[in-house]
Amino acid sequence: MTDISDFDAPKPPAWFGAVIPLLLVLLASGFYWFISTDKDNGESENTSNSKIKLRGQLSPGQTYYIFASEIEVYPTNLKNESWDQGKKGPDIRYRLLWKGNAVFESITKDDSLIADWSGLSIELNWKDLLGKSVSSDDAIKAGRIRFEEGEKIEIAVEDVDVASDDDVGRHEIDMDNLSIGKNEFKLTKTDTSAIRRITLRVLPVGSNIQDLANIMK
Amino acid sequence: MNLTRFLIACSSILLGLGLIGPTLTIFPKAGDLTWFIKIIAPEELAVSTYSILGVIQKLFQTNDLFLAILLALFSVFSPVLKLSFYWHATGLKNPKKFKSMLEVIHYIGKFSMAEVFALALIIVVIKSFPGGSTAQLEWGAYLFTSSVICSMFVSFRLDSSKRS
Repeated sequence: MTDISDFDAPKPPAWFGAVIPLLLVLLASGFYWFISTDKDNGESENTSNSKIKLRGQLSPGQTYYIFASEIEVYPTNLKNESWDQGKKGPDIRYRLLWKGNAVFESITKDDSLIADWSGLSIELNWKDLLGKSVSSDDAIKAGRIRFEEGEKIEIAVEDVDVASDDDVGRHEIDMDNLSIGKNEFKLTKTDTSAIRRITLRVLPVGSNIQDLANIMK
Repeated sequence: MNLTRFLIACSSILLGLGLIGPTLTIFPKAGDLTWFIKIIAPEELAVSTYSILGVIQKLFQTNDLFLAILLALFSVFSPVLKLSFYWHATGLKNPKKFKSMLEVIHYIGKFSMAEVFALALIIVVIKSFPGGSTAQLEWGAYLFTSSVICSMFVSFRLDSSKRS
């Protein structure tokens, strides 16, 4: 009967020991990977915004922020009189209407023939900006409107007065004619509208910051 | 040789943790527009932490193959290969083979600090970004450097045993 001793047993090749450091490296890495709870934190690439169209016509089904960045009115009101007593300019405010509902109302810009809105909230404290995470929905002052073909929106502009608000005019916009970014409408004065010019901004909801910054220019 | 092997084992474990542990934290800023970007897309200014393997993976994903391969060679393959050769050298009885193995190790060792240089380069590049973005080393980088230092001690011990 043959007795196989340790001496006779097949020896591993000389380089076999060289695998031990590699195994230790893999074990240590694997151990940390196993205990790490948020292993993907900061390393996962966010690709959710990659399919959003950033220029040209609006895409059906996509939701957009829409706001007027500038509204200019004629120097006189619908009755061809000065806007406010004391020859002050009108206190302009606009409402955005979609499907018959007011979906956004701007703040009032006092004594302006050309009123402008940044589209951003001005109610934020600078400390909030530094410390808190503010959602874009809260910060962007615009109506959220989903585009479908044939859809229309309406801008209703008012002169805000203490006694009663006066109509400045209304303008209906066919959304098929809107494009992402800046849209300008030059209007003539009529019996029902003293709006001279409307600049609308259309921003796709969910696009990334570089794209939004470019569109806002 | 037992202490030498212990040091190699320590260096290997430190290397494994250093490769996968957080190494670099980037604090993105956008200069004067930082407040604006924090409003619209706060996630764009989120602080990101990367491991060395994470950086390599990211470089591969962004098709920066040259940098990815360079970093993988210097920070993963070169140190692992060096430690493997160290371990192999500790088991060699033949002085001639031992000496030639040490020469090979010293050749590979020339790349041993290249990965630290790569990290320093990344930090310098990030700090030169407009907008005040900053980068900070995390514990993974210190473990990685400790692994390199540990392997240097191994090298000293092997050199001294060669002379004796």
